Formats: sequence, structure tokens, C-alpha cells
Amino acid sequence: MSLNVQNKVTADIHLEITNILNMEAYYLDNRKYKEWLELLADTITYRMPLRETVEGVGVSNIAEDSAFFEETKTSLRTRVNRLYTKSAWVENPSTRQRHFITNIYVEATADPDEYKVRSYFLFMRSRASTSDIEQMFGERHDIIRKIDNGWKICSRTIYPDQSVITTMNMSMFL
Amino acid sequence: MIKKTMNEKAFHLLKEKMEQGLLPQWVITDPDIYDLEIEKIYGHTWQFLGHETEIKEPGSYVTRWMVNDPVLLVRTRQGEVKAFLNSCTHRGTQLCTADRGNKKTFTCPYHGWSYNLEGELVGIVAGNKVYGEEMDKSEWGLRPIPQVASYQGMIFGNLDPNAESLEDYLGEMKWYFDILLGRSGGMEVRGLPQRWVAKANWKATAENFAADPYHVQTTHRSTVEMGISPEDPLYAGYGHQVVMKNAHGINVITSKTGRARVPYQGTPESMWPLFEKHLTPEQLDIQSKVTVFVGGVYPNLSFVSPIHGTEGHLHNYLNFRMWRPIAPDRVEVWCWFLIDKAAPEEYKEDAYRGYLGSFGPSGTLEQDDTETWARIVEVSKGLMMRDKELNYNSVSNYLMGYSHVKPDENFPGPGTAYPTTYIDALSRKMHEHWLELISKDMFEKEVSR
Repeated sequence: MSLNVQNKVTADIHLEITNILNMEAYYLDNRKYKEWLELLADTITYRMPLRETVEGVGVSNIAEDSAFFEETKTSLRTRVNRLYTKSAWVENPSTRQRHFITNIYVEATADPDEYKVRSYFLFMRSRASTSDIEQMFGERHDIIRKIDNGWKICSRTIYPDQSVITTMNMSMFL
Repeated sequence: MIKKTMNEKAFHLLKEKMEQGLLPQWVITDPDIYDLEIEKIYGHTWQFLGHETEIKEPGSYVTRWMVNDPVLLVRTRQGEVKAFLNSCTHRGTQLCTADRGNKKTFTCPYHGWSYNLEGELVGIVAGNKVYGEEMDKSEWGLRPIPQVASYQGMIFGNLDPNAESLEDYLGEMKWYFDILLGRSGGMEVRGLPQRWVAKANWKATAENFAADPYHVQTTHRSTVEMGISPEDPLYAGYGHQVVMKNAHGINVITSKTGRARVPYQGTPESMWPLFEKHLTPEQLDIQSKVTVFVGGVYPNLSFVSPIHGTEGHLHNYLNFRMWRPIAPDRVEVWCWFLIDKAAPEEYKEDAYRGYLGSFGPSGTLEQDDTETWARIVEVSKGLMMRDKELNYNSVSNYLMGYSHVKPDENFPGPGTAYPTTYIDALSRKMHEHWLELISKDMFEKEVSR
């Protein structure tokens, strides 16, 4: 289990990765979806299984056989491109959204250019002139790798904490 | 017991308007109407509980809701399907809160009463020491859902012990269920249903799915803009809308030529002989021509069997969804993915991705649907909408095809088939049936007073 000393997570690395996640949130909240796609590796796997209610202590409550997202770069690009059409009504008029990303924990891997990153998210959204506030929250597990001197998200698994989703659709990316 | 009954004058006004093809908008979210609906419609119609493949093994269970009634759906040791009120008979505590699992007994966390898979009370903490000898456990088993039955693997329950049988209730719809669910010998559910809460009224969501291909061109215009769907404004309108007994219905959407764009909905050729084996020539004729099946079982179960994908290649799947009313302006949507058991594993995976990309809460088609549902309930509470005298003409238009589209006598399937799916025939039927159900016994009550 002991990792090579050069794989230590330095303060610089932590800051760089934190900045990437904050930049990502900024892109998403400001509808810069094409810029967001650039942060994702071409081979990304982007998944969001369901959270389920199960009995027992210390048992998994992630429904791995069920998903909200099961995406590749191609399918994510299709989703993104749709949001730039005039008639993706769910985002026209556009929603106002914020991704609050916290509790970022960076772990080294055997590959000196690759890190495992865990973060918490709180997603909040306001729509039209209603006073309802929609939200989702949970945890993300990423693999982030330095490719050609830039950071790319190579894989992301999103674990929602709600088993019944309280946003009335999931037009967002998390 | 029933505090709210329908005002006779309001009933006559409604009936009159609906005979003209108009539906007053105040009925969408009116709280008194909502209470009547729960009592008079949901108390007596067959509600979907789950698919048999969700509880495959003895001891497998899922928890479900029939509006506000908690349901425990289990597979017994003998392999039977049973459904009970998910509430301990001691103090009424919700017995099991898990979404699914496998157990031999269910134990209440309050005082420890436990029940077996047959619903029998098998354990009382301290037993006779506290209750004495007179306590007869056999009188305190879980309360069974009055009627439980299944058709083509779809398990339904009914709270009314006197309601007509499921087979009679489904009626002509069975013939179409045989195509949707039985074409290759049976379907299976993948995973858990996705659940989310939408700002919507159940009548509007049920109608949107079961009866309304007309919205496709506009609501889902983004797919036209992206070149995924055809430009032709009639593209979702080709085919037949079939209206059935009990306000069930299906839209068999084909194409301008009357043929499918891809045969057998793009399913692998290896499956086609199964279709030939399981379907009658008439059913096979429909299956070979259809692009999309979309319809519903009244009151709140809808289905769609389309062809979709977000990665350039298209797949067919079957999506059932249940609109659980939770308030006049809220539904909890339950969304199941079904696929032919006989389909190749790789196809099942790809079809699931295709489903996630199109329907379900993250689906690119679904997302825009939710927008229109919300916009209906946002505006339906206003004074002008609520004016029951209808002076302001706040009515919804259900006139499409009213006077000029006649049924196609040559359609091979049962039910009344109209030769287009851009028609309000099924919506009108759903609302007429709705009025019939919520006003049932209304006049008898007047007499008995």
C-alpha cells in the first residue's frame, strides 16, 4: 500500500485540483457547457447510480443496477448541444443554478499524474418567478489526470443522497 | 365519512362543457376535486404495484404506494405474489421502510411484532405474558390489499374488494399488453424505478403521455433542431389512436408511409422469430409497422415504447411510469425500464443508456415535458380559472378531430381506432370517465338524505 514518495499530494496539487473543480462549477453555473466539455477526457465515464433505502447497518445503499446518468463523452456532447438549441424549454428561460463544491479530498494513486478526488456537492436551482427552491446534494468520486500539462476529469461517479429526487427534472450536470 | 361530494350544479356545468369538448381549467388543481379523485377514482381502480421480475426469489419484496396507502409486495416461499398494507397491525407503524430486499420475516421496530411472508403474525414480544391467553395471533395478520392480480407480469392492486377483475378492467388493453410485454416471451425490469417529484397534476401527466402525441413537435422541438427528429410537423401524428373501455388507450405511431422507419423498432433480427411465435398475425402486423407505442392504463399508469439513443445508434425499450398523486399540484413520478428478457445482454445495456438519454428525469425528452406540466399547474389556481360559472370561458380545448375524424374500421386491433394520433378522442374519453367516476353515487346521496 505504501506509495512512492513522489506521489504525495502536495499543497500545490491540492490547490490546482480544487481550482479545477471550482472552475468546473463556474462553467456549469454560467452555461458555459462547451467549456465544461473541454475539462472532460475523451474517454470519460460519467455515471450517477440511484441511492436506495435498504435495511441493515454497513450495507451499500447504492443501487448499482440503476442510474440517472450512464454517459460517455459522445452522449454528454449530445446533451450539451441540445442545451444550445432554442427549444430545450427546460433551460429556456434558463434556470439559475449554483453548484457548491466542498470537502475536497485528494488521494494519490500509483500513477504520479493521476489523483482520486472526492467532493461533496450541493446543487441549488431557481426557476422562472416561482419561490420554490430546488436542490440536490451528495458526493462525487472523480479520477483527475494531468494530460498534456492540463487537468482532465477522466471519470466521475455521482452519488445522490436523495432516493426520491426533488428537482423536477435533471437537466443539470453534477 | 366522505365530507366532500360534488355539487350538483358544478357537475351539470362540467358535463355540459365536456360534451362540447371543453374542460374547465379549475378542475385541474381544485383541492375539493382532488380529494374526490383520491376517494372515488383511486379507491376503486386498479393501481400498478410492480413487475414480477422485481421480486424474483422467495422472500423478495418491494415497498410501494397506492397514493397514500403503503404497500408491501412480496414473493412468498411458495412463489406466490402477495400484497399487504405496509403497516403493523399493533399500532399502525410503517412496517418496512426499505425500497427492496429479501427477508423471511418483517419485524416492526416499535414493539417487535413480526410477520412472515404470508402476512401472518408469527411473533409477539413477551407473547402470552403480556396479552394473556385470549390473544389470537391469527386475527392480527397484515391487512391484505383487497385485490391483487397480474397480467403479462404487471402486478396491480385494487382497494375495492368489489371492483371488476383486473382482466375485465384491462379489457381490450390486454391485446396491446400482449404485444408490448409478451412479444418475445416476457420482459424484465432493470433495477429500481427512478423516482422524482414534479410540479404537476396527475391528470395532466397521464394525458400528456397516454393521449397527446400532438405535443411532440413543439415540446420536443430541440430534437428536431438537432436533426434527430424529422421536420415534418405531422411526424408524430401518423398512425392510430385507439380508445378503449375504462379510458385506457394507445397511440400506434407509424410514419407518413404507414410503415415503420426501421422494422420491428430496430430490435435485433435474432428477436424477430420470437415476435412471430408470440404474436397473432394482426399483432405482428402492428408490431412490424410501429415506430412508437405510447399510451396508458387509466388512471395513472403510462407507457412508451420508442426508439432512442444519445450516441448515434438507436435502441428500443419499454418505459412504464406511474404518476402517484401527492397533492393537487404535485406528482411523484415512478419510472421503470423494461426490456425483453430474450434480448442480447449487450443490447439491454445499450437500450438502458438510450432510455437514460431520452426518458427518466435526466432524459432529454423528459426534461422538457416537466416544464409544460409545471406551467399548467402554475396558472390553474387563479380566480379567472376557478370561476365555476365559466363566465370567463376558462376552458381547455379538446376539440381536435371532434367533428371530422371517424374511426378506421379496418384497423386490426380492438378498441375504437382513429386514423391519426393528432386527435383528442382519448383525452376526451379520459375526462369523461373521470367525471363519471368522481360523480358516481352523487345522485343516490341526494336521494338518501
